[in-house]
Amino acid sequence: MVLVVIRTAIIFAVLLVVMRLMGKRQIGEMQPFELVITLLIAELACIPMADTSIPLLYGIVSVLAIFVLHEAVTLLDLKVKPLKGILSGKPAVVINKNGIDDYQLKKNNLDVSDLIESLRSAGYFSLDAIDYALYESNGTFSALPKQDYERKQTSLPLVIVDNGTFNGKNIALTGLRRSFFVDLLRGQGIRKEKRVLVLTADGEGKIYLQEKGKKFTTFRVQYPDGRTW
Amino acid sequence: MIKSLCAIFSVCVLLAGAVLFEALYVGRAFDDFSAELVSLNEKTEEERANYEDARAVQVSWEARKERLQVFLPHNDVSRVDNVLAETVRLVAEGEYTAALPKLEVLIHLAATFPNTYRPTLANIF
Repeated sequence: MVLVVIRTAIIFAVLLVVMRLMGKRQIGEMQPFELVITLLIAELACIPMADTSIPLLYGIVSVLAIFVLHEAVTLLDLKVKPLKGILSGKPAVVINKNGIDDYQLKKNNLDVSDLIESLRSAGYFSLDAIDYALYESNGTFSALPKQDYERKQTSLPLVIVDNGTFNGKNIALTGLRRSFFVDLLRGQGIRKEKRVLVLTADGEGKIYLQEKGKKFTTFRVQYPDGRTW
Repeated sequence: MIKSLCAIFSVCVLLAGAVLFEALYVGRAFDDFSAELVSLNEKTEEERANYEDARAVQVSWEARKERLQVFLPHNDVSRVDNVLAETVRLVAEGEYTAALPKLEVLIHLAATFPNTYRPTLANIF
């Protein structure tokens, strides 16, 4: 029985560390340790229930051990501030006044498309409509929009360059040629698209451009033949 | 917070009690079983053992098994069951030479069984 308690504690600790290392993507509205407990409880309860060769006591003991671990971690989370960051993680500010924080994205195993998807889910379609955006420690997404953000998102922005790579599908949706965007980048002094973190273009000619490690810029362009979407 | 601390303390006490009881109970059950097996082994070596002796050990084990299965995986317990049933049959038929290795296995199982549930590094991992 003592083996069951020790093994439960070890698996709990390992899962907690792995969940923390996996970053925000794996967590959905639960603290990492809560997710670990949810994962474990289901298995621990099921195995002795289905396998009659395992004493039911093993299931009961491991569930009780999980209960003790949960209560202990909750107490530490509430009462010991330095441990809160280690156990539950910290919010990651992924958009600030300078634009997207690539380092924070990578640290949480996310990329620009994940961020844009989260923004759209939160009702924000334009990257420049946001002053700050962050992933909370439980993986939920929060954004602080600019005051006049509704005026800034009048047309759907399409991601043309995502982390140094042209998105051919979105270029096709714009009805423009890739060379148009290559020239646009050259016009901004960028010779290689690899240097671009993100470039979006909306139907009214508004371009959002951010080079890796630099502040974003927005400007307007005229599309050939008065094209729009 | 007090409620949480009380809950943690209560469950820890409960678990510690259960762990202690299990260790003592399983240890004693296998010590007694081991003593019965050693006695049967001596009689078998002297070719004095009969069906009643072997059957008495089996009945005693079956009574103990009912309670041991609360603590031990049932597959482990049934290993002893199987070897013991073979031994009873061999002793009943007077095949002492064949019964002796079976008794050796049972004595070994009874001696090593409680160790497989002790919190050693090998058992944990």
